[in-house]
Amino acid sequence: MLELIGLTRRFGSVTAVDHVSLSIPNGQMVGIIGRSGAGKSTLLRLINRLIDPTAGRIVFAGQDITALKGKALRDWRTNCAMIFQQFNLVQRLDVLTNVLMGLLNHRSTLLSLFKLFSAEERALAIRTLDRFDLAGAALQRADTLSGGQQQRVAIARALMQKPRLLLADEPIASLDPRNGKVVMDALRKINREDGLTVLCNLHTLDTARHYCDRIVAMRAGQVVFDGVPAHLTASMVRDIYGMSEEELDQAETVTSTAIASVASPLAA
Amino acid sequence: MSVLGVVLFSIAFFATAVIGQVDPARVAAGLPNIIDYAYRTLPEISARQPFTDIAEWFWAIDIWLLLILDSVLMGFIGTLAGAGAAIAFCFHASANLAPNRLSFWIARRGFELARTVPELVFALIFVFAFGPGPFAGVLAIAIHSAGALGKLFAEVNENVDPRQIEALAATGAGWSETMRFAVLPQVLPNFLSYGLLRFEINVRAASVLGIVGAGGIGEELYLVVRRFLYSDISAIVLLIVITVSLIDIVCERFRHALIEAGPARPTR
Amino acid sequence: MISESELAALRAAHPRVFRRTAAERRKLALAWACFCGGVALGLWRILPPWEAFVAGLTKLGFLVGFMIPPTHGGHLGQMLHGLGETLAMAFLGTLFAAVAAVPLGFLGARNVLPVRPLHFGLRRLFDGLRGIDSLIWAIVFVAAVGMGPFAGILALAVPDAGTLAKLFAEAIENVEKRQVEGIEAAGANGLERARFGILPQVLPVLLSHVLYFFESNTRSASILGVVGAGGIGLQLAERIRLDDWQEVAFIILLILVTVAVIDLVSGWLRRRVIAA
Repeated sequence: MLELIGLTRRFGSVTAVDHVSLSIPNGQMVGIIGRSGAGKSTLLRLINRLIDPTAGRIVFAGQDITALKGKALRDWRTNCAMIFQQFNLVQRLDVLTNVLMGLLNHRSTLLSLFKLFSAEERALAIRTLDRFDLAGAALQRADTLSGGQQQRVAIARALMQKPRLLLADEPIASLDPRNGKVVMDALRKINREDGLTVLCNLHTLDTARHYCDRIVAMRAGQVVFDGVPAHLTASMVRDIYGMSEEELDQAETVTSTAIASVASPLAA
Repeated sequence: MSVLGVVLFSIAFFATAVIGQVDPARVAAGLPNIIDYAYRTLPEISARQPFTDIAEWFWAIDIWLLLILDSVLMGFIGTLAGAGAAIAFCFHASANLAPNRLSFWIARRGFELARTVPELVFALIFVFAFGPGPFAGVLAIAIHSAGALGKLFAEVNENVDPRQIEALAATGAGWSETMRFAVLPQVLPNFLSYGLLRFEINVRAASVLGIVGAGGIGEELYLVVRRFLYSDISAIVLLIVITVSLIDIVCERFRHALIEAGPARPTR
Repeated sequence: MISESELAALRAAHPRVFRRTAAERRKLALAWACFCGGVALGLWRILPPWEAFVAGLTKLGFLVGFMIPPTHGGHLGQMLHGLGETLAMAFLGTLFAAVAAVPLGFLGARNVLPVRPLHFGLRRLFDGLRGIDSLIWAIVFVAAVGMGPFAGILALAVPDAGTLAKLFAEAIENVEKRQVEGIEAAGANGLERARFGILPQVLPVLLSHVLYFFESNTRSASILGVVGAGGIGLQLAERIRLDDWQEVAFIILLILVTVAVIDLVSGWLRRRVIAA
C-alpha cells in the first residue's frame, strides 16, 4: 500500500504538485493523465525521491519515506523502480551491463566499480531480457537499439531491482504507436505476472483507458479525478484537458504519440 | 583600434624594452655569436667517409638513447599518475556532479594550484628533497598534469547527459557507482584524447627537466652545453626532436581514431 | 534465485555473455601485458630506493613547514624587478614571435605561394623551431648573447615563431576564396591581395592565438631564469639553493598571482577580439 498524504512541491512561486493525497493498494495499475505541465512527472519524481517534497508525506507499507537518507533512501529507490520517457540507458554501454545496473545497490561497490558480475547475475539479466525477447541483443551497445527496444531494456533494468513498485514517466511518448503498444503490453505483463504496482504517466487518454485499472487525472498540480476508467465522463475530460475527447484525439494524431490505432481493435 | 590602445601598447613596448634590456647594439653583436654558435654545433661530415663521421658524431648514442628512453618513461608514468589523480577527483570538481560544496571547493582549488605552479618549480623543490634523478621529475610532471587534466576533465563532465545520471540514481545506485556507470562511459573517449595530448606535452617537458637535475636526457644536454661539446649538442637536440616528433605522430593517429570512433554526445 | 540446470542452459545459449571468446581474451591479455610491462619498466627506471623515498618525503614535509609564513625578507624590490623582467620577456617574446610569424605564415600557406618544395621546407623549419623547448633555446642564447632577460626574450620568440607561423599558415589556408578573388578582380598585385584579401579575414584568429601565447609565455618566462635567462626564475633557483624556504614560498605566490592576473586580462581581451 502506497499512501501519499497532502504531498506538495513548489518551484519558486509555482506549485507543481498541490496537496496530492492518494492511496494505492498493491498490484494496481494506475494511469496518471493530464495536460503537460499538470505535475504528473513531478509527482513520480517525488515518490522516487529524486526530488524532495515541500510538504506532505509518503508512506509505503507503513514506512515513512519522506525523510529517508543515505542507504535507506537508496534502498527505497531500489524498491520503486523508474522508467523514463527518453529511456535513459547509458548509451555507450552494452545492453547486458545496462540491465545489470539494476543490481548496483544490492552488491559490493568495489566489485561493481571493476564491472565484475557473477555468472548467476549475468544469467538473471539474460533471463529478464529474454522475457522481452531481447536476450539476443545483450552484447550490443544500447545506442544501436530502436526506441522500443531501449524502453524494454529499461524495463528489464527496472525488474532487476526486484522492485515492489514501478513508476513509468511517459514511457511511450517518444515511441511510434506499434512500439508504444509493445511497451505498454510489457508493463501490463509485469503488473499481472509479477503482481507489481504500476504507476504510469500517460499522455494519451485511450492508452490509459485501455490498460489501467484506475485513472488519476491531474490539473495544475491537483488531483481532479480518481476512479475506474468507466467513470471518466466526457465533461470531465473537457475539464481536465480543456477540450473534448474528439478534439484531443485529433491533437494526438497530429503529435503521433497515440497508440489508439493499434490499441482500439484489441479493446473492442 | 582606438588611440588609447595604440598609446597603451607603445608604453608597454618601450617599458618592457627597457626592462628586458633589449639593445639593438647587443643584437648586432650577438647575431654573429648566434650564427657562429650554430655553425660550431654542425658536425664534420666529409664526403670521403660519411658513415664513419656520422658514427663519430653520435659516438655516445647508446647512452643518449637510454636517457631518452628515461625521458619518455618519465613522460609516460607522469601522465599516467597525473591522469589517475585527475580521474579520481574530477567528478568532485564538476559543478553538476560534486557530492557537496566542500569537496567541490577543495578539488577545484587543488587542481588550480597544481596547474598554475610551473613544472620546473616543482622539479626544483623535489630535486632538493629527493635528490637528483628521474623520480623528482616524474613527481613534478604528475602533479602538473593532474592539475591541467583535472580542469579539462571537469569541463568535459559538466557537459554529460544528465538523464543517464538520473536513471542510475533512480535504481538506488550510490554516488561512486553512478559516476562509474553513468558518467565515465560518456566521457572516457574525451579523457583518453586529452590524456594522449598531455603525454605529448609531458615527453617534451621530461626532456628538459634534467636541466635542474630531474633525470632524463636534459641533464646530459645541459652538461655538454656547459662543456662546449658543440657537436654533441646538435646530436642530442636532433635525437630529442626526432623522438618528440615520432611520439606526436603516433599520438595524433590514436587521437584521430578516438574522435572517429564517435563523439561522447548522447544520440538524442 | 536461479537453478543450476537453468544456469547451465543459459550459459550454453549465450556463451559470450558469460565468458569472452578465446580470441578476445588473447587480445585483452596482450594489451594488459604491454601496458603493465611499460609501467613496470618505467617504475624500475624511475623509483628511488625505499630509504631515499622515505627520507625525501620527510624532507619535503619539513620544507613545507619552513615555507610558513611566506615572507619577502626585505628583498621585495628585487623580487618585483624580477617579476617585471618576466612580464617584459613574455610580452616582447610573444610580440617578436608574432611579428616574425606573419610573413613566415604567409610564405608557408599553400594558397599564397603554390611552390611545393618551398612550402614543405618551411613547414619542416617551423616544426624544427617548435620541436625544441624554450628552455633549451634559453641555454643556447645565454651562451650566445650572455645572461639576462634578452636571452630569455629570444628563447621565447624562436620556438613560438615556429608554432605561430604554422597556426597562421593553417588559418590562411582556410580563408574564404571569394573575397580574395574579388580583390584580384579589382587588379591587385600579390602583396595587395595578401594585405586586403587575406589579412582582414585571419586577423582575429591570429590575435586570439597571440594572446593565448602571451598567457602561456608568462608561465614559461617565470622559470627561464633558472638557466640564467632573466626573470624571477633566477631568484627562485637561488633561494632554493640557499635553503631560504619562506622566500621561495613568497616568490611562488608572486608567480601564481601574476599568472592569474595575466590569464584574466588576456582572457577578457580574447573574448573581445573574438566578439569583434
